[in-house]
Amino acid sequence: MTPSGGTIFWTTVTFIILLLILGKFAWRPILAMLDERESRIRESLELAEKARIASQKTLAEQDQILDAARKEAQDILAKSRKTADVTKDEIIKKASSEAEALITKARREIEMSRDKAIEEIRDLAVELSMNATAKLVGKSLDEKDHQALIDDSLHKLGELN
Amino acid sequence: MINQTVEHATALSDTAHHAAEAAAEHGESGVDFILHHILSHPVIKLPTVFGIDLSISNHVIMMWIISAILIISFGVAFRKPALVPRGLANALESLVLYIRNDIILPNLGHDARSYAPYLLTAFFFIMLCNLAGLVPYGSTATGNIAVTGTMAILTFMVVQIAAIRKHGLLGYFMMFSPPGIPFLLKFIMVPVEVISMVTKHFALAIRLFANMIAGHITILALMSIIFFFKNWLITPFPLAIILFSSLLEILISLIQAYVFTILSAVFISASLATEH
Repeated sequence: MTPSGGTIFWTTVTFIILLLILGKFAWRPILAMLDERESRIRESLELAEKARIASQKTLAEQDQILDAARKEAQDILAKSRKTADVTKDEIIKKASSEAEALITKARREIEMSRDKAIEEIRDLAVELSMNATAKLVGKSLDEKDHQALIDDSLHKLGELN
Repeated sequence: MINQTVEHATALSDTAHHAAEAAAEHGESGVDFILHHILSHPVIKLPTVFGIDLSISNHVIMMWIISAILIISFGVAFRKPALVPRGLANALESLVLYIRNDIILPNLGHDARSYAPYLLTAFFFIMLCNLAGLVPYGSTATGNIAVTGTMAILTFMVVQIAAIRKHGLLGYFMMFSPPGIPFLLKFIMVPVEVISMVTKHFALAIRLFANMIAGHITILALMSIIFFFKNWLITPFPLAIILFSSLLEILISLIQAYVFTILSAVFISASLATEH
């Protein structure tokens, strides 16, 4: 059971050679690779975080833009509705005033034509009555009789009218 | 009738005699059998140089085989280290990553780069040496006090070198004289510190050696029960316990490699610490 010098010697030699070989060909590349992978993962995570923040910002901006657009659209709609209302009112007002004017004009024309017609009818009536009277009487009446006849006829016409 | 009884008795006594003889014989050969499997024995005779017998023992051959396995497997797996490993490289890398993240980095931190190769090599070497004893025709190099002693001496040397590199030669000697204690107490404390530095590494060697050899003695002793009884009816019982012990041995092999590595890392980090 006493430790043999040979085994100690060979263990030392074996282990140190193994340490040198593995250190050069295994541990150094593996540890470097692990470090690299860790740094790359960290970088990727940071990048992802940055991208997330950026996209969130963009999303917020888009929301803002969308909100603004929506508001603008509503404004435009409201404004155009108002304008349309105003225009409609104006058109209606104008139309009604025009119609009124037309009606007034027509009424005046009607009145004028009626007055004219009445005048004509009166003249015609005077002439007719004068002719009829002349025929009936066969002789001319004096001025006084004329006047009396005219007045009488006018009175009758006024009652007719 | 009487004859029959006598014959029977004779037969019985004969059997008993034989059994006793067999027991004596196999008892002795059982010990031989155990010792034969545990102790190292020279395979290639080499001359003695400066009082050291350089003969290659079976344990040395096991260490060479294990070194070759390690070099070949790591060489094949990591010829081109890929950032995303696969297959064998993935399996080996998970072990390396475990040792790096659970033992080396927590204990050594910034100094990890300098001492990681030693700790990694020690872990893989000891782990495979431990497991090699469970392989048929294999022998446990770490069940040899010379091997575990050498490993402990190497850790001891790494610890001393780490301390000298970190604190300088004067600072290294000051480590054995903890600050803030009365002058007279130093006559007690300095020897205690020196003894503790030696014993913790001595314990490192003994722990690994004892764990490895105990498991193998248990398995071999259970196996020699079969030879002792010379009866196949008895075999299932030792075999069941041998199976259990073997599984336990696998666990212990891994645990002891881990323990050796983590204690080495702790000793190195303790020697690197500026405060006591």
